[in-house]
Amino acid sequence: MIDSEIVLELKNTVGEKYVSNRPEITYLYHYDFITAEPEGKCDIVIIPGTTEEVQEIVRIANKYKIPLVPWVSGINFGSIATPRRGGIVVDLRRLNQVLEVNEDDMYTVVEGGITWAELQGYLEKNYPNLRAGITWSPPGTGVIPSCLCYGMFDLGMIGGSGAEFLNGLEVVLGSGELVKVGSCSLSNYWYGRQPLPDLAGLFIGWEGTTGIVTKASIKLWPKMPFREDYTGIGLTVDDSYPTLLKLSKAGLGICDILCVNFGWGQSIQELYEKDAVMDAVKENMPDFISLITTQAYTEIQHEAQCEAIKNICKEGHIRLLSASEGAEAVIPPPVQYWNFWNFTRGGGGQWIGSYCSTRDVVKYYNISRKICLKYGKPPQFYSRILFGGHYVVARSNVNFNKNDPDDIEIARKILKEIHDEVQKLDGVVMYKPPLWAVKYYKDKTFPATTNLINKIKKLLDPNNIMNPGQGIGDD
Amino acid sequence: MIRVAKKKREKKVKYITGQGISKARLAYEIHDLKRHQRLEEYKEVFYQCGKCGTCRTVYKDAYWSRVCPSGEFGKFEAYYLGGKNLLAWALTSGKLNWTNEIAKIFYQCSVCMACIQQCQIPEIHSFAGEWLMAMREEAVKLGYGPMAEHNKYIEHIIKENNPYMEKHKDRLKWLPSYIKQSPEAKLAYFVGCTSSYREQDVAVATAEILNALNVDFKILLDEGCCGSPVYMTGQVEKAKNLAEQNINYFKDAGIEKIITSCAGCYRTWKDTYPNKFGLSHGIEVKHLPEFLRTKLKNGQLNFNKELKMKITYHDPCHIGRHMGIYKAPRDVLQGIPGIELVEMTRNRHNAWCCGSGGGVRSAFKDLSAFAAKERIKEAKETTAEAIISCCPFCLNQFKNNIEANDIQAFDLSELIKKAI
Repeated sequence: MIDSEIVLELKNTVGEKYVSNRPEITYLYHYDFITAEPEGKCDIVIIPGTTEEVQEIVRIANKYKIPLVPWVSGINFGSIATPRRGGIVVDLRRLNQVLEVNEDDMYTVVEGGITWAELQGYLEKNYPNLRAGITWSPPGTGVIPSCLCYGMFDLGMIGGSGAEFLNGLEVVLGSGELVKVGSCSLSNYWYGRQPLPDLAGLFIGWEGTTGIVTKASIKLWPKMPFREDYTGIGLTVDDSYPTLLKLSKAGLGICDILCVNFGWGQSIQELYEKDAVMDAVKENMPDFISLITTQAYTEIQHEAQCEAIKNICKEGHIRLLSASEGAEAVIPPPVQYWNFWNFTRGGGGQWIGSYCSTRDVVKYYNISRKICLKYGKPPQFYSRILFGGHYVVARSNVNFNKNDPDDIEIARKILKEIHDEVQKLDGVVMYKPPLWAVKYYKDKTFPATTNLINKIKKLLDPNNIMNPGQGIGDD
Repeated sequence: MIRVAKKKREKKVKYITGQGISKARLAYEIHDLKRHQRLEEYKEVFYQCGKCGTCRTVYKDAYWSRVCPSGEFGKFEAYYLGGKNLLAWALTSGKLNWTNEIAKIFYQCSVCMACIQQCQIPEIHSFAGEWLMAMREEAVKLGYGPMAEHNKYIEHIIKENNPYMEKHKDRLKWLPSYIKQSPEAKLAYFVGCTSSYREQDVAVATAEILNALNVDFKILLDEGCCGSPVYMTGQVEKAKNLAEQNINYFKDAGIEKIITSCAGCYRTWKDTYPNKFGLSHGIEVKHLPEFLRTKLKNGQLNFNKELKMKITYHDPCHIGRHMGIYKAPRDVLQGIPGIELVEMTRNRHNAWCCGSGGGVRSAFKDLSAFAAKERIKEAKETTAEAIISCCPFCLNQFKNNIEANDIQAFDLSELIKKAI
């Protein structure tokens, strides 16, 4: 129960304009409006403008033992920014500034609520020779949540997952203390997390349950003078994916490699699921579509890299189309690839998105494909190879009409079934997992590890006010 | 230089050959959506929105600048298009009930439609403007709209043909005696309320330009409000009555063509009357810059004077995003000798709204001033001496919000008048 005294205290902290407990305002924060996960309940929304205000909000929440949910756009396909136990949603949109760009060490220090659009716009305007690795999520989504929740970027082959793009953090802990982690904890530089004890891990993958990140340093990269984007077409994922893995381990200036299947390809083209090809494999249509980006500093280097990519793909029977010859399959992110969430034209979508071993990615696809077909949904698959081929992300998208309870139920069944089946491959771990998946992993995790997680959670958030109900820690 | 593809991706894939596909349909084809319909017609599409936030910033251009005055002022999700889409879903599916506060959210928006330009979901990109208006109509139908401030001026429009609390008998007070009119002319200059009562220099300049070009025209004594301020607040029937009065009056006067210097009047005559109200009046409607560009092209408009001036052009929403006119005003301005036109970062379909339209200036003064000041700041950043528009309502809004006199505001017609 939220009483007016709490609202008044919050208004005194950030100003009346930036606090609301009115239903027409809180409604937009109670659910992510995309997934098949249950709706939550938002009692109050607050939009702080400074780190100090965030600290004060945490202090008030501790005083009244009210849940706090850090929030930038609320979109993550695991429903992890949905307030599960009511309370206060802390909308960080006013903390959206680029505070520093260090061109020598190639990083930027940004505030906790900055979006991809804001970061990209700032760099385009002020540092056109530098680029950030960017997700394929919409431009209005948050940069820091992407990193903290293991999103992946279009520089994933050289930089790894989003978490590996983080150099340091400033965080308001659940206890209200302000901490800095990384080189910024003892200097003005935010160049990295090494060689200190790496405390960033107390916040990465914790789904906002240990603190609210108010600043972060994100790695930037030089824009190379030469670049080519290839679209590779193959008949099946089974036959063609090994060639991508070969490419990923061959260097060749490749900064991004990903693969989608025919179903995913249909969804992004503004098509309607009911008109789509159900099973491209059965129809003998090319079910393997890949995107390969290579970049180089000199022309000779670039030509050699392109030549090698072409040869490897030829050996693997992948037909290559190049962007410079007009086959621009993908526009550079950030991008509103909303159509692959709107395939049913009902605005609902969710995934089983997992990190897994490169050995299992093809098996993962075949399992998910079979299950989707069983339920009459065209299989949609996406995979990205990360960090020079050290690991991959494999993802099965499921779309539904969020206005149709039956369709939502089918989507839930598919998601659950895919999840349970791919677990048999071992080492398949979901990122941005919904509550039911978190519970699954908790039961499976080495007991002493779970115990350590619980202890850390208790230390950083003694009153369990930070995003409770997401299953993290002793929740 | 980075080597990138030259060709653009083919965005709309309508047919793909191959077994199993007869026709791949875009969603608005599936739902057979049309413009200007009632809320009921759109209720199966607005929940396609996932509140992803693409509507908040320019998409892939203009440094991803912010575009939504309502959202930037209101801050909470509800004030952006995504929020409004999902509130519309909540209201039409019984998840929320109408209240005065919800209605207020839908009215706290100038319907500038900058947000809609950015969204890449075809159904929303093409039709969200329709349900934003339909929500206002619904609010009126249920007694939650319009806002009290709107009612005040709407009553006056019905009584005195203008929203400015002025007398109808004073409508032509601006008209100098030296303006030549042709009683038999089939072309009328539709002055509009703002130029008649508030920005009279625009009316004088337009009439002088028409005289200078030897255009036979007349101004109708009993011209009334076009109805735009009424329609934009969701009062369709009242606005339609005004439209009928105007159409009958102009038809009776033998008018076959109208030129107007007001963006709002233009949009209303050209689009709202026939397409929303179903009143096919058959009168050709031209906005002044369109008319002048034709004259410039065929050599009938000649500039005799040089105007050494650095200017920036503000695209009025009602002719820009609502009607697609971006080039004509720029062509005319750039035709003036000595004029240096510099663009603001947000221009054409990405232009930041001045904050006067949609009933915002009367009912939400703080939001209105916020929007205007933001645009003036952007204009100053270009180092232009003046911000030029071709809408007297935008002009009036800028004049009222320029504080330090470090930039001037003019209507396009005023510059043309000086140069001929």
